[in-house]
Amino acid sequence: MIALLPLIPLLAAQSIDSQPPRHPPRTIAVDERLARDAGLRIGDTLVLAPTPGQAGDTVIVSALVKRPADPSEVARGAYRIRVHLDELQQLVGYGERVERFAVATRGHAATDTALGAIDASAFGFRAYSSREIAVESSTTFLVVSRFHRAIGVITIVASAVFLLCIMLLKVDERRRDVAALRLMGISARTIMRSVVLESALIAACGSVAGVALGSAVSAFVNWHYQRVYRTPLTFSLVTGEIIGIAVALSLCLGVGAGWLAAQRLVRQPPLSLFGR
Amino acid sequence: MILSLARASLVRHRTRTLLAVIGVAISAAMLLDMVMLASGMRVSFRSLLLSQGFQIRLAPRGTLPFDTDATIPGASSIIARLEARADVLAVSPVLGAQLHVERGGASVSAAALGTLAAVQGDYKVLTGRAPTGDGEAAVNDALLAAVGARIGDTLRVAAGFDPQLRGYTGQRTIRIVGRVHFTYLAAGERALALPLAVLQAMEGPSQADRVSLMMVRLRDGAAVEAARQAIDREIPEVSAISTASAIEQVEQRLSYFRQLAFILGTVSLAVGFLLVTTLVTVSVNERLGEIAVLRAIGVRRIRIVEQILIEGTVIMLGGAVAGLGLGLLTARYLNSILAAFPGLPEAIDFFLFQPRDAWVALGLLAACGILAGVYPAWHGASRPIAGTLREEAVA
Repeated sequence: MIALLPLIPLLAAQSIDSQPPRHPPRTIAVDERLARDAGLRIGDTLVLAPTPGQAGDTVIVSALVKRPADPSEVARGAYRIRVHLDELQQLVGYGERVERFAVATRGHAATDTALGAIDASAFGFRAYSSREIAVESSTTFLVVSRFHRAIGVITIVASAVFLLCIMLLKVDERRRDVAALRLMGISARTIMRSVVLESALIAACGSVAGVALGSAVSAFVNWHYQRVYRTPLTFSLVTGEIIGIAVALSLCLGVGAGWLAAQRLVRQPPLSLFGR
Repeated sequence: MILSLARASLVRHRTRTLLAVIGVAISAAMLLDMVMLASGMRVSFRSLLLSQGFQIRLAPRGTLPFDTDATIPGASSIIARLEARADVLAVSPVLGAQLHVERGGASVSAAALGTLAAVQGDYKVLTGRAPTGDGEAAVNDALLAAVGARIGDTLRVAAGFDPQLRGYTGQRTIRIVGRVHFTYLAAGERALALPLAVLQAMEGPSQADRVSLMMVRLRDGAAVEAARQAIDREIPEVSAISTASAIEQVEQRLSYFRQLAFILGTVSLAVGFLLVTTLVTVSVNERLGEIAVLRAIGVRRIRIVEQILIEGTVIMLGGAVAGLGLGLLTARYLNSILAAFPGLPEAIDFFLFQPRDAWVALGLLAACGILAGVYPAWHGASRPIAGTLREEAVA
């Protein structure tokens, strides 16, 4: 049975001393980040001690473990090793205690029954479903997600104003052209449609460029933060749904801005557009 | 005259100018927020760490304070060694634990800090006094509310459970002698303070003479970094962390926000710059004839350039001033979102307004406003007068 040891300071890696071990050395698994930083390899002999400099147990590194992509640990620089449970209990004077049990059940219904039964009969500990633990441990990311959403709303408002400004400038540039078209008999409705179509096309082109830029930035963000935090975690995910929402939003903003800008053109008489 | 012309040009297209100012205001607000975010955490965290006057923290070797459940063994011997140092004024040991608090049949869990009342720097007494004797505790508002207690009431507290005996371990009956505010705890976190020896005894033999953290106050004029290095070298059980190194480590963990602030700040600035450049360029293109006339009647090229630069700067500064208020509002909102981070001390602000931030944002925007007008100004002022007048007359 393997125990997870979250407290690296309890452990000190040091060279084997001259005292012979009392029993054949047991094995431990070392997280690859610790192995890389401390220059450890499979087969290396270490001494695990609860306090630096004190005598401890001699162990052999038998495996290097890849860290799971756990978001709740991404910012923590703690190293991890996996030790046999009984050895860790003995090493840190923990008696026969454990911090938690993981229980596999036979489906959702069995989970609920087991939770109720354990909570009713047990004293001194509480049973949680994996879902409850996931909700609790993901609070940090819910906060970050809310923060990103707020930043996103500000960005959308800024983009909308920017787009409206650009469309306004574009239609203002063409006041005389539009006046001429109106005098030739082209209806205000047709002019309106053409302006809206133009702004939709601009928004579509911008969306394509935005998706390409966003994908590139996302790839860079993943590459950068995976290196910074040394984790396989995916930090930025560009999904079809996200692209769909972004493009739809962009088109809506484009059409809206075009419509508002076109309103300024078609509401004025053609001669007024000529400046007379 | 230049100012009048610039004003007339901006007023001529009110909607356009207004939209540009709104666009710049949003960019300015975002820029201000990002400047505040970039420096806010550092300043806020630094002032929090220094608020109680302790310059060095000692945590179990290899950890940050309260980052793990590890504790420092042989606390009294370490404290004696520290107090023997000439540069150390006071040492405040702290043991952290989770206790079960019972009152009237209700039971809640709460964070407990074991401290020495005379030197503690973890809480401020709001009402009553700090706990000094066995059977005394000071409690924060969140715990008082959770158990419906007041100063003078008694509570039953326990350090743990014994599943075999089906009973609590490390039980005590305590009297609430004070209402306190814990400096480093998160908002709404239930907590109580006990005398250190009481909490150590409640936790049992495993925590005898152990503490989670020691805070060290140095004498005035003592070299903090030299003291930190010496302590770190001489006491192998602990990692000595100065305020600077603690800030550095926290910044490393929260580097994401600093980088986000840099990227979004740059994007905001670029958007504002593009908006003003576009607007001024179009505005100048519309007025090529007018500019040619001004030059034909003797207005110098530099004056034309000045007028166009003023237009860009006015839009940028107008937007920046509006954006300052907007930025403070959005910063408060964004800060309220990030304040919900689990375990974040209540006193930490991600968005901390400092006048310097406003000046930085304003300076950057003003520089962008000037730069945004450079190309259109040069383009407008350097066109040939006769050719431009002819083209405009034909048009």
